Amino acid sequence: MRYIAVFAFSLSAALAQEASISITGAVASPVKLQLSELASMPRQTITLTEPDGSKDEYEGVAVIDLLKKAGVPTGSKLRGKALTTYILAKAHDGYQVLYSLAELDPDLTQGKFIVADKRNGKPLFDYQGPLRIVAGTDKEAARSLRMLEELEVVQLKK
Amino acid sequence: MTRKKYAAALLFAGALFAQSDWNWNLPKGFPVPLLPADNLMSAAKVELGRYLFYDTRLSVNGATACATCHRQELAFTDGRVTAIGATGEHHTRNAMSLVNVAYSASLTWSDPHMRELERQALVPMFGEQPLEMGLRRNDGLPRAIASDPRYLDLFARAFPAEAGPPTLENAVKAIAAFERTIISASSSYDRYHYGGDNSAVTAAARRGETLFFSQPLSCFRCHGGFNFSDAIQYQNRPRHEASMHTTGVASPGIFKAPSLRNVAVTGPYMHDGSLPSIEAVLDRYAAGGGHVAGQDPLIGGFTLTAPQRSDLIEFLHSLTDAALLHDPRFSKPQ
Repeated sequence: MRYIAVFAFSLSAALAQEASISITGAVASPVKLQLSELASMPRQTITLTEPDGSKDEYEGVAVIDLLKKAGVPTGSKLRGKALTTYILAKAHDGYQVLYSLAELDPDLTQGKFIVADKRNGKPLFDYQGPLRIVAGTDKEAARSLRMLEELEVVQLKK
Repeated sequence: MTRKKYAAALLFAGALFAQSDWNWNLPKGFPVPLLPADNLMSAAKVELGRYLFYDTRLSVNGATACATCHRQELAFTDGRVTAIGATGEHHTRNAMSLVNVAYSASLTWSDPHMRELERQALVPMFGEQPLEMGLRRNDGLPRAIASDPRYLDLFARAFPAEAGPPTLENAVKAIAAFERTIISASSSYDRYHYGGDNSAVTAAARRGETLFFSQPLSCFRCHGGFNFSDAIQYQNRPRHEASMHTTGVASPGIFKAPSLRNVAVTGPYMHDGSLPSIEAVLDRYAAGGGHVAGQDPLIGGFTLTAPQRSDLIEFLHSLTDAALLHDPRFSKPQ
């Protein structure tokens, strides 16, 4: 019950300041990136097909590129113990989903995951954004987490 | 190919051609509805269906038509707690909206296997417990309709490949075809969401949308997607059994999550019509449903501030398609 009130107040607070995403947990250097910083990073797009067959183009930054900013091992360094790393994505409304680090790395898999800040060239709808993970190779949208705020890196193997 | 088979093939092709003049003209976001193979759409069939939908001669005493319990100005509901049949008998269920019924994966409140409009139309016509339209099972299409010169012409144009008098089977096909055309996609929400018009909805409605789609409320988990219902089907989407939910919000049972499009004009609410207003529905869900055995775990209760409650209600009002409520394509033929 109390949780909703917190959500309500923080929603208005969040809207009043620039959106950001934090990368926390088992990382070499936790970072907090502002929405404007994402604009200067390499951009990618993912096109999703809607039920009516129309296409929606989501644009943003590869999740793996954001994780690199925090020193998360990728590419040839993603071996051994590092392969037991997972990413807990957290939304402003409390929703959480999980990805393995390996599935986010294009050097290892065919998966395509971005943190999108635009849909068809415009900012995301309020209920989606300002930031949303788009899991481009998932069949359903359940892991395309809306209102993204934080990526927590967790090392499973101790 | 023998001459006989060739003639049959020509007849079949002619029938297909006669039914191929239909253009859904669907708005953005709306997929093509799923159709039964033996009842493709045609303008003539839809027109016939519209006449039949409003014809009270489809009832035992000329008192009731499909449109009696499915009034256009109420998004094809009847505004009653529970529906009333031709002889005054009360139904146990609230009349469901027919808006966007073409996308419904199930057609009643609690029977996931009632999937075809053609079959469902027979229930109110011939059902006895409760009696709705009161037709008798073996009488077929009422003679007053079957012999009406206007209908003879309408049936001939709707089913050009068939000789003989109008049939009940073709009547329900036509009614189903008409019902499938009742598509609501012009609400202010649609203009905002699909039309890109940010001024179409208020800031309060947008805040309400965020609440609706938030994890703590989770309204969207049962009332999501373009039709705000999880009991949905369309072309290229594999058919699956429609979801049913135990909410405990009204009387016991498992029920379909109906579309919330036009919800502001479809009260009273729930399968038994027991909740008179949207506010009452929200309050019941906020209280965590009925706390009954087997209750859907998504219904766990929540708290809204007064402004949030107001925002959520404004969002729900943004789903009203005012044009649909008076669209002459769906009105009683003159």
